[in-house]
Amino acid sequence: MSVETSAPGAAARFVGQRIPRKEDRRLLTGRGTYVDDVTAPGMLYVAFVRSPIAKGRIRSIDATAARALPGVRAVLTAEELKALPIKYFLVFGVPGQPLPDYAPLVADRVAQVGDPVAMVIGDSRYVAEDGAALVEVDYDPEQPVVTIEDAREGPLVHPRLGTNLAAASQPADDPEMDAIFARADHVVTHTVRHQRQVQSPMETRGILANPLGSGELVVHVACQSPAQAARYLAMLFGIPDHHVRVIAKDVGGAFGLKVQLGREEIGVVAASLLLRKPLKWIEDRLENLTAGFQAREHDMTVRLALSKSGDILAADVDYEINLGAWPQMIDGGELATMMLPGPYRWGRQRQRARSYYSNTCGLAAYRGPWMMESLVRETMVEVAARAVGMDPIAFRRRNLITGADQPFAMATGPVLDRVTPLETMELALEAIDVAAFRVEQAKARAEGRYLGLGLSVYVEPTTISIGGVMSSETAQVRVEPTGKVTAILSTHSQGHGTATTMAQVVADQLGVDVEDVTVLEDDSSRSGFGAGAGGSRQAVAGGGAARRAAAQVERKIKVIAGYLLNANPEHLRIEHGVIRVEGEPEVTSSVAAIAATAYLEPDRMPPDMELGLEAQSRYRPEIPFVFSNAAHACIVEVDVATGVVKIRRWVASEDCGVMINPSVVEGQIAGGVVQGIGGVLLEHAAYDAQGNPRAATFKDYLMPSALDVPEIEYRHLITPSITEGGFKGVGEGGAIIGPPALVNAIHDALAPLGFSCFDLPLSPPRLLAAIEAAEASKQVAGAP
Amino acid sequence: MSRHEITVKVNGEAVSATVEARRTLVDFLREDAGRTGSHAGCEHGVCGACTVMVDGVAVRSCLMLAVQADGAEVTTVEGLADETGKLHPVQQVLREEHGLQCGFCTPGVVMTLAALTAQQPPPSEEMLRDALSGHLCRCTGYQGMLRAARRLARGDIGKATA
Amino acid sequence: MKPAPFDYVAADSLDGALEELARGAGDALVLAGGQTLMPLLALRMATPSVLVDINRIPELAGVRRLDGSTRIGAMTRQAQIRVDPVVARHVGPLAMATGFVGHHQTRNRGTLGGSVSLADPAAEYPATSLALGAQIEVRSMAGGVREIDADDFFLGPYTTALEPGEMVTALRYPDWPEGTVFVVDEVAPRPGDFAFVGLVFILAVKGGIVSRSGITWFSMGGKPMRSMQAEATIWGEAVDGVDWAAVAELAVSETDPIDDIHATAHYRRTVGKHLFQRVVATALAKRGAQ
Repeated sequence: MSVETSAPGAAARFVGQRIPRKEDRRLLTGRGTYVDDVTAPGMLYVAFVRSPIAKGRIRSIDATAARALPGVRAVLTAEELKALPIKYFLVFGVPGQPLPDYAPLVADRVAQVGDPVAMVIGDSRYVAEDGAALVEVDYDPEQPVVTIEDAREGPLVHPRLGTNLAAASQPADDPEMDAIFARADHVVTHTVRHQRQVQSPMETRGILANPLGSGELVVHVACQSPAQAARYLAMLFGIPDHHVRVIAKDVGGAFGLKVQLGREEIGVVAASLLLRKPLKWIEDRLENLTAGFQAREHDMTVRLALSKSGDILAADVDYEINLGAWPQMIDGGELATMMLPGPYRWGRQRQRARSYYSNTCGLAAYRGPWMMESLVRETMVEVAARAVGMDPIAFRRRNLITGADQPFAMATGPVLDRVTPLETMELALEAIDVAAFRVEQAKARAEGRYLGLGLSVYVEPTTISIGGVMSSETAQVRVEPTGKVTAILSTHSQGHGTATTMAQVVADQLGVDVEDVTVLEDDSSRSGFGAGAGGSRQAVAGGGAARRAAAQVERKIKVIAGYLLNANPEHLRIEHGVIRVEGEPEVTSSVAAIAATAYLEPDRMPPDMELGLEAQSRYRPEIPFVFSNAAHACIVEVDVATGVVKIRRWVASEDCGVMINPSVVEGQIAGGVVQGIGGVLLEHAAYDAQGNPRAATFKDYLMPSALDVPEIEYRHLITPSITEGGFKGVGEGGAIIGPPALVNAIHDALAPLGFSCFDLPLSPPRLLAAIEAAEASKQVAGAP
Repeated sequence: MSRHEITVKVNGEAVSATVEARRTLVDFLREDAGRTGSHAGCEHGVCGACTVMVDGVAVRSCLMLAVQADGAEVTTVEGLADETGKLHPVQQVLREEHGLQCGFCTPGVVMTLAALTAQQPPPSEEMLRDALSGHLCRCTGYQGMLRAARRLARGDIGKATA
Repeated sequence: MKPAPFDYVAADSLDGALEELARGAGDALVLAGGQTLMPLLALRMATPSVLVDINRIPELAGVRRLDGSTRIGAMTRQAQIRVDPVVARHVGPLAMATGFVGHHQTRNRGTLGGSVSLADPAAEYPATSLALGAQIEVRSMAGGVREIDADDFFLGPYTTALEPGEMVTALRYPDWPEGTVFVVDEVAPRPGDFAFVGLVFILAVKGGIVSRSGITWFSMGGKPMRSMQAEATIWGEAVDGVDWAAVAELAVSETDPIDDIHATAHYRRTVGKHLFQRVVATALAKRGAQ
């Protein structure tokens, strides 16, 4: 069920509509083109030999038996790959930052179970795996460090770095802050520990690298931006830009996993160049769950100084993250600490952060990588409110910013403007009907059943365009001689629906039908520099570029048409591709007719006007962050005998500005919420003390199924941003704000038992143990 | 290792190949039969993306050997829409309900729903939801699929609710 | 995740299958429904030299009434067991257990014999067969046919009393008395998952006195665990006078759960007691409704 409030103005015909997606027909009939669907003549297949130990030195590698196996064409180790020098760097790296020795294949020290040690190339994946099983590697195992605790004091993961700290930050001395804490009426401390997860899109990573000869390379790869992947490969291998072409027509989900090519993809490209053969590698699920990238292992402790009336005076933050051995980027907790105040009046904040290496899989981005800020803040608000003796909703009302406060500078710097956290919260509360729920909850408790209500409120920094690869996106819009429209963008969909949403934007701007607009975004040779998917940016940055390029074309159509129809371009209206003159109903033309003239009839064109109907625009949003916001509320029932949680209702009340396609928006929210449910209740990429991953298959790594999810209800507010089109990002939000709503609901349900557990996942065994612990401490305390 | 000459009817068309004993049905369909619509999402029978119909019954094609399908009739997702390209009702309803995003799990979901809705007596919404629990999706949160299941159970193929 | 190489034989007769198994000399595996074997092959955790496919032997599937028992062929699909009217009437617990086995799609291929032969400690069919007092019909080329009592069949994790060359061909379920009630239930993280803890409870009452019961657990030890002492305690007692809480304690004490990635032994025992009481309440309610 979905309710929208405050529609956009003017004559938008496709923007704002739930247009069924253009790409669906292809995908529903099995005609998608994912990387494993692509073949090349003479293609060979790659399987990796991987380390069975988490840490140690490689003493020897013997590939003799493997190389002799019929069907195995080559076995490559780091030694063979030396023939092709690679300038390894991280897409989201910082210049000068000390990094471990990334390489496609490990040369002498393995640092995680699953570290790629050799590549076997064979006639099929089957025989390549046979070959891999025959490669004999001799290791000197060492004791690994697995957890943050281990990493603090334990042996070095990367000896050359001299430390297990990948990044660390300390605040300056701040006696004023100390004084605030000393004076405060209440000081509350709260810690949340988040377990390691795996992004686990349904399509794993994969690549087909095809060297075409004379230095040209065509690569099909599961990525989040063909342009970025091509640029990255060109820089890594020192190949001229225009000699690398990356094509990614369909990608089966990414969520941050595929934003940077991993070591295996790079190794496959290297091998294809060395062997001069097309090579395909598809990550299998075992590799995806245990040997590739993982996500989210971080802890955060916040000390909050409060006045007795419930004002948040100051926050002291401590953040730690376990980056694994080969992280996709060095996350120093910058965003997680920066966003911690959220939409609250927060006083001052200081933070310290430590990012550790360990002998586990490297972390990569995962939908809202900074999500700890909302998880910690929104669960802490409940704790803080109780400490001060306030109802948490009243506490939020007191401390959330209002419209009158904006523009509002967060304690950590960014400025919030045109956000509606309080309004979305009130809308969520109204939808869930708190009063009615409390009655139901009391009745249930009397029957020995435990229902709970959880709430969370946040702001999301979408479309960050401060600098680097995410600075801008570009669009080229072209009306073809036939009158149909081609839009070539630097956006990219791995499920995002940009083939439809960008077409909606262009169609509206031009006055043509959305069926007549084709969006192309799958090929680096035509898309232009841009970041593609990541950071909830495509509606704003891609939509903005598309709008501006289309506006230029629309202007030109009107000038030409006005010239031909002897009318003022300002008096022309274009709808369904038909051009009409205001006040002269018999005078019409069409976009198709103008296009034919523009390309084929130069003598009819206005003098001195360039032929054709095409324009390009590169858009950087006018503000460095485009903030959207939401409040979620959910109701759960906890079975205290088994610890099983059932989610009864979920309300997502959000404001992402002008929505291009509400179905797409809701789909993004839902996907994020359900990923969040998985993180709170089910998923755990656990390791044993020897660094062995314990969740090796989907039998052990449990993701939500269709029976685990509520029917999500939506409320939409529309507060346009000042950026082009009034759009705001929304893609990551559900995974950021979902978890705290659920954790709060569980705590509300079990409040009568004195339950407290912020050590995720809240799986049934953990819940039961925490319930038992609460009961035990009640008895010790002598409580009834 | 034994090799076997097999002929499988895929979407009505006979496909013959000589396959290794260990070759899975999903690999045969994708590579030997050239039908890449079925996807191998896990290769251990949990995610459901590889679901096809074998002799009318929905099965996980990663859990069958190609050689076991010798002489069988296999329907893949490519075989559902009619010759004019008109979508099967399951495909139509999923599209209307925004039941897919990246599309990778979708063919499996389509085949499960198509197999069940072809049965007599027609399945209840609960049966369809239960069958959907055998599919993993990471993009959609299952919302559109569940709406589609409700409409399919009601025979409500005419109008969208999303 | 591709299997290691193996030879494949599609047996078209039972004798043919047994001959292949004998020839395989312990390195041959039977391919039944494949729903559990195929993942093991994909992970290279099973590396047989020969796979003997028994899917094309029609006489291995089917439900048949014998005098006082029901014989279910090893290749009978789980989907069929779930809806078969003879099974519903005479082997009700097995039909009920099937609802927890895997998913709709896996039940189309998965078989009774396959599940029983694999003896996964978390599986429903072994525990249900044990509770029912099933006889497991086993054949080999060398040894002919024999029946093994379920009590003697399940020895440990993935370990049964099958000798090399032997294959399960059917399960025979002797009838329980008229009016027997039963419940199969489990607590699992998600529907269709391996259970944290599962219970089969079968109760026959005659003239208000417990005349027979079957109390077995799955996911509570290295094999399906039968709470024989609990069964003995309630036998001959007035059903309305049983202290079920105490029986729950006793029944759980006869299990041997482990800590694993999903749950601790402590959790399993705690929830086991609760599950027992819940299951008994349901069973007694069914009795009341008769």
